[in-house]
Amino acid sequence: MISMKLIDVKHVWKIYNEGYENEVRALADVSLEIDRKEFVAIIGQSGSGKSTLMNILGCLDVPTYGDYHLDGHLVSEMSDAQLSKIRNREVGFIFQGFNLIPALTALENVELPLTYQGVFGSRRREMALEALEKVGLAERCNHKPSEMSGGQQQRVAIARAISTRAPIIMADEPTGALDSKTGKHVLEILHGLHDEGTTIILITHDNKIAATAERIVRISDGQIIQDCPREEAEL
Amino acid sequence: MNITQSFKMAIKSITDNKARSILTMLGIIIGVAAVIIMVSVVQGANQWSKEYYEKQGTNKVTVNAYPYNGKDITEDLYNYCLGLSEYVAGVTPNGSVYTDIKYKTKSTDNMEYGGPSTYLGSDQYSLCNNFTLAKGRDISQLDVKKENQVIVLGARVAEYLFGVSEPVGQKVTVGGVSFTVVGVYKAKDPDSDWSMDNMAVVPYTCGRLLGQNSASTNFTVKATGREEANKAVTMITGFLSGLIPTGTGDYWVQSENQWQEMDEQYTQQMSLVVGGIAGISLLVGGIGIMNIMLVTVTERTHEIGIRKAIGGSRRSIIMQFLIEAAVVCCCGGFIGVVIGYLGTVVAGKLTLDMLIFPSVGMTVGAVGFSVLLGIIFGMYPAIKASGLQPVEALRAD
Ligand SMILES: Nc1ncnc2c1ncn2[C@@H]1O[C@H](COP(=O)(O)OP(=O)(O)O)[C@@H](O)[C@H]1O
Ligand SMILES: [Mg+2]
Repeated sequence: MISMKLIDVKHVWKIYNEGYENEVRALADVSLEIDRKEFVAIIGQSGSGKSTLMNILGCLDVPTYGDYHLDGHLVSEMSDAQLSKIRNREVGFIFQGFNLIPALTALENVELPLTYQGVFGSRRREMALEALEKVGLAERCNHKPSEMSGGQQQRVAIARAISTRAPIIMADEPTGALDSKTGKHVLEILHGLHDEGTTIILITHDNKIAATAERIVRISDGQIIQDCPREEAEL
Repeated sequence: MNITQSFKMAIKSITDNKARSILTMLGIIIGVAAVIIMVSVVQGANQWSKEYYEKQGTNKVTVNAYPYNGKDITEDLYNYCLGLSEYVAGVTPNGSVYTDIKYKTKSTDNMEYGGPSTYLGSDQYSLCNNFTLAKGRDISQLDVKKENQVIVLGARVAEYLFGVSEPVGQKVTVGGVSFTVVGVYKAKDPDSDWSMDNMAVVPYTCGRLLGQNSASTNFTVKATGREEANKAVTMITGFLSGLIPTGTGDYWVQSENQWQEMDEQYTQQMSLVVGGIAGISLLVGGIGIMNIMLVTVTERTHEIGIRKAIGGSRRSIIMQFLIEAAVVCCCGGFIGVVIGYLGTVVAGKLTLDMLIFPSVGMTVGAVGFSVLLGIIFGMYPAIKASGLQPVEALRAD
């Protein structure tokens, strides 16, 4: 049966070092559906399995057991070429640790997904600059990551995630490494994208940030223990 | 992503990571240049000694004979050798005098690197010592018999005394004694300062005129081949034992080929030693390349994780790394070859005074080896990490 939800996770397990003494059940029988244009916050204590889940949702990792349908397609059956296309065009991933390429300037980092998409020349530059403008960093485009503050680096990472105009943005504790003021700025950017119709999935351990989402998913010990609209969640 | 983009990306990566690129290139440059220079110089030395022996004339047998009674054995030996035509191509006395040769006001005493040797030879002197005529005629059997005062000049002497004018038919004096120039030999060793062409030959029967009062005791016999030279040694030894019975004189006969053989053996050993050293430099260069590549593998694995996470396919990442490694290594290889060639020419000039060029096969081998190594290790991170899940590659830190 083809699922009509944007994201449809069914009975997914992620077990690290399965069968060894140091086996970790990071996800245990997780099922989750997310629709287009939702703004979902995933919360939970450190080590509860949030990143593990998000990596699977972003097609950066595969579940040990269970099925994940993205836009109706079973991810485990996709080829490397199909997967790279999804990572490139469908999902913009924002890491807690930025993950910029140090040798490249801000602009070049933002251009990279466009290059893999096959956008070249002035069009690529335009799109990258547009993304940088959205995060308010256009005038910093020729700086290398090492020449920028954490907040600026995270904004470059966001610009990179949105440069291909992906319909889904996934952000793993995007404000975790930032002070509260820059954190607030980053959150504003995400809300702006949501207003434009982008699906946002956000991991946070900050209740104030979670409180701005439409829906809260709480994870504990690799299991979803709460999944409800913000109004019903106790934060 | 197309090839042009992969290429641009690879070039960008090279220029963005200059230290890494330069160190890799350096490994290749050192390996390639060292191998080319060392192997070429040894090959040049081998060639030099081969040419030297060929100019001197190969398959020569030296005969020394001293009958106590001072008897002249030249004619006996000459006639005996004529009968050995299967093994012996020629025979000549090999004595010489070092006196000035004068033409008008010019004297060989003033030559920059010293005057010539004037050999007291037979009509077969040139044959035995690998000289060929450029002009005029050689010493003849009749000249020897009649003690004709004729002389054939080596190219260096002819050039010094006569310049561009015609020597044949002119009279020169050797140690004050007048000789007619009947011929000039071709230059066979024009480049060296102490040239083999700095010589002249007169009939040995004129020796007395030049103050050489005793009979010839030193002879050169030219054999028809390598095997024949050994055979000639045995036969001439046998002949001399009859001519100079035990207790009436001394004699010895030896093949000159042994020097060449010793030299060949020596250069062969040199080739092995230098080849070994060259191999080690190639290996050290190779290990250098491996080192750089392996040291950067974590960093590069992380980079691959990022590239995969934002949509780089396995194919495009491998392509980028392949092009990157190939460009760095080929540049290194090219520079190594250029330095190797220049170094070979300079080293050849300094050590052998000779223009040597590296062999193409060896160059291709050295470049091929280091470039291949560089490409394999340059691609290693891509091969290893591009198949991982992006998070797995990102975990490398
Ligand atoms: N590569 C890994 N190997 C082994 N265990 C891991 C690995 N990654 C995460 N884990 C474990 O899985 C659990 C969930 O981790 P994670 O998803 O990173 O938690 P969170 O993001 O909620 O802090 C933790 O106990 C963590 O130690
Ligand atoms: Mg986490």
